Amino acid sequence: MKIRFRLNGRWIETEAQPFQRALDLLRDTLDVISVKEGCGEGECGACSILYNGKQVLSCLLPAVQLDGAEVWTAEGLLATPLLRAFEEEDALQCGFCTPGFVVAAYAYVLNGGSEDAAEIRRALAGNLCRCTGYTHILRAVQRAVKEHHASSSEKRG
Amino acid sequence: MGRFVGKPIPRIDARDKLRGTLRYVADLKVPGMLHGAVYRSPVPHARLKGVHLDPGFPWNEFVVVTARDIPGENRNPMILPDQPFLAEDRVRYIGEPILLLAHPDPRRLRAAFAHIHLDLEPLPAVYDLEDALRPDAPRVYPPDNLFVKYEIRRGTPEAVFRQPGVQVVEATYRTGFQEHVYLETQGMLALYRPGDDIKIVGSMQCPFYVRNALRALTGGREVEVEQAPTGGGFGGKEEYPSLLAAYAYLLALKARRPVRIVYDRHEDMAYTTKRHASVVRHRTAIGADGRILAMEVEVYLNAGAYATLSPVVLARAILHATGVYHVPDVVIRGYAVATNLPPSGAFRGFGAPQTLFALERHMDFLARNLGQDPIAFRRRHLLKNGQAFPTGEVMQQAERVQAVFQRALEVSRYRERQQALEAWNRQHPNRRRGIGLALFLHGAGFTGSGEKKLASRARLVLLPDGTVEIRIGSVDMGQGTLTVLSQIVADVVGAPLERVRYATPNTRYNADSGPTVASRTVMVVGGLLEQAGRRIRHRLEAALGRPLEKPEDYEEAVHRLFEAEPTALEITEAFRLPPGVEWDEERFQGKAYLDYAWACYVAEVEVDLTTYQVKPLKFVAVQDVGTVVNPLLAEGQVHGGVAQGIGFALMENLEVKDGRFVESRLAEYIVPTALDLPPEFEVEFLYRQGDRPRGLGELPMDGSPPAVINAVVHALNTEIHRIPITPSKLWHLLHPEAPR
Repeated sequence: MKIRFRLNGRWIETEAQPFQRALDLLRDTLDVISVKEGCGEGECGACSILYNGKQVLSCLLPAVQLDGAEVWTAEGLLATPLLRAFEEEDALQCGFCTPGFVVAAYAYVLNGGSEDAAEIRRALAGNLCRCTGYTHILRAVQRAVKEHHASSSEKRG
Repeated sequence: MGRFVGKPIPRIDARDKLRGTLRYVADLKVPGMLHGAVYRSPVPHARLKGVHLDPGFPWNEFVVVTARDIPGENRNPMILPDQPFLAEDRVRYIGEPILLLAHPDPRRLRAAFAHIHLDLEPLPAVYDLEDALRPDAPRVYPPDNLFVKYEIRRGTPEAVFRQPGVQVVEATYRTGFQEHVYLETQGMLALYRPGDDIKIVGSMQCPFYVRNALRALTGGREVEVEQAPTGGGFGGKEEYPSLLAAYAYLLALKARRPVRIVYDRHEDMAYTTKRHASVVRHRTAIGADGRILAMEVEVYLNAGAYATLSPVVLARAILHATGVYHVPDVVIRGYAVATNLPPSGAFRGFGAPQTLFALERHMDFLARNLGQDPIAFRRRHLLKNGQAFPTGEVMQQAERVQAVFQRALEVSRYRERQQALEAWNRQHPNRRRGIGLALFLHGAGFTGSGEKKLASRARLVLLPDGTVEIRIGSVDMGQGTLTVLSQIVADVVGAPLERVRYATPNTRYNADSGPTVASRTVMVVGGLLEQAGRRIRHRLEAALGRPLEKPEDYEEAVHRLFEAEPTALEITEAFRLPPGVEWDEERFQGKAYLDYAWACYVAEVEVDLTTYQVKPLKFVAVQDVGTVVNPLLAEGQVHGGVAQGIGFALMENLEVKDGRFVESRLAEYIVPTALDLPPEFEVEFLYRQGDRPRGLGELPMDGSPPAVINAVVHALNTEIHRIPITPSKLWHLLHPEAPR
């Protein structure tokens, strides 16, 4: 069936198959390669997308459910304080899980997450990273939250 | 320290990875590509008498490859010549590759599997290494299921054990299989070019190993092999990619089209290599003064159905078996045992985590048995300068071991915390806290004469536009090679960091700098690049007529050098053993490693006596790995290695049932998440002026499991001799009367 959704700020019209996963539509049809298949069964979080403002695993999402949705992937989340924090805190190694963590962290910051380490850990617990041991990712997210708060209070002031 | 070396520079490839625009092998778009798949043995051990393809099935849609399609030799060129690329007349484990298929539509591949029939004559099978050693065990590898056995001996331990008044303490330690769980599964692409000039592109640690395997497979062709961005390796992409490359190659050769094979997670977990499960028996002779007089250590590794790298894994295991301690009379025996399981292989630490878990647990066990303090007991037995390891190698860095030991005790406030936790336990009936440590080493680079045989080469090319290109086979799989080698080169050449380019590892255009394994890249390959860089700098300074000092001198020097003739300057350096490094590989005597990293790790844990879950609360990692080229990336190596060690110790359970790994999905095999790691984590690197880098990658995997388990032992006052200790296993350990 024909579906229409907003991907990284642009409306997309494409054909989705009945049993197709959103993961495959994004990767194979639209060449959105930041969305990775790490396990294909909802355990690793590497296929995370920002779906109507929430982190969703695209390997568990039927492609047809993209219809009408607002979708962001790592490709679209450029030039945010989050990416700078990830880069400077070295919150990545091999990079395969990284776009998924960027999405998870972005969802966390977007939804008003706090600097509290335990809360951040819970928010990231759906994404697996085998390289970093998470400590640098945690630091990067804490820093991004701090900078997000600083910049939003500047705007308010 | 230079302009770049020693600085916490963010990794050079960070932005492409963060944006998700870096293309791993599964992300490459190739016109006309077929998808490949591997048809595997459904049984653990059988004579393979025939493979029949259902005549009613439209096989003409498929490319079908069997062992008969192999142009060269059907033998994977490893240490022993036992492993075929594709099974011919016998299968030795569930999942052993028999036949290959390719088709444009990946969904058709599974459907085709149902139309392949095997004529099998089952043979008895064996999975447990102790069962495999029984005289009546099924024969996996003739005559005795031992791929290799080794012995290291110093002094006369047997005589010491017989001395009157000697107390003998024995204990057996066991570690389980461990799965790498690199987030990117194994994947390989064979690009077909006219004249059967196939190029291999894929996820790998060792492009030149893959080339060597394809040389055997093809009967002598020099196949071009290129590394694709690699989503984690940890040893799992050391030797296994050679097989996968062979399969993609064979399919592409027959199809005359590009073929890609990407494993799904289950296939990857069920059939690719694992860390060797181990049994380590310690027998220790204690004198009347409470000192260790002699040790007998027996190390058994479950190697699976083919030898692959097991002989060298075993060598490293036994060479780390007595760690940093002085044992005057010692014998260490090692056995690589064949079983009907997928071949075990390289995994970060490469045998050392197994024997160091046993040793560092055993030191605590001995101390507790003898009523001695584990810290003081270790200190008493530290190798002093001039004393010998079991190999006869003489300790020359004792003060470095003492320094990491002392510093870890200080940073962790060990004594104070020990008492505080014991007091805490008296207040909390349903929880127990404890502190433990491990003191250990890791030999950097290949074992024994390995580096001499490898004879690595590294190449730098200065292009007329001033770009310095690193052309080597060493890869970045996340550990940061690309960044740290660029830092080294920029400093030694005198170039800005952005003028250094890391050419994609490729066997046709780059020098063979050896495999990306064994914590050797910065030490060995970085050293060669430094030599090459010095020669380039010399040429630049000669052209400039004075030393390169200010950053802008570089462009001026490049301009002058290429003014007369704009021809690239290419420098290749080859590795030579430093004088005096000798190794007797028959007797395991001499200098076992080029150098060592030293470390002391301390863990604090909490055990919940309702759920039996063990939670790490705090971790202190102090190490001496020589010069730290990039402290930011180095810290990340420690965090990540410790996470894998904690997983190995507490959660990563891999059971074997009827020849299969039970936990072969991520829903079943539990690796640490952000919730499972210590909230407090301190990492320190100790080094001295004039130090050189000495290897870091594997070290954190070695010491973290015993540190964590020693903390659990302190918390519960109960000995633990086996990992992983999952909550259910811990419950059984504390309730031995309960039915299993």
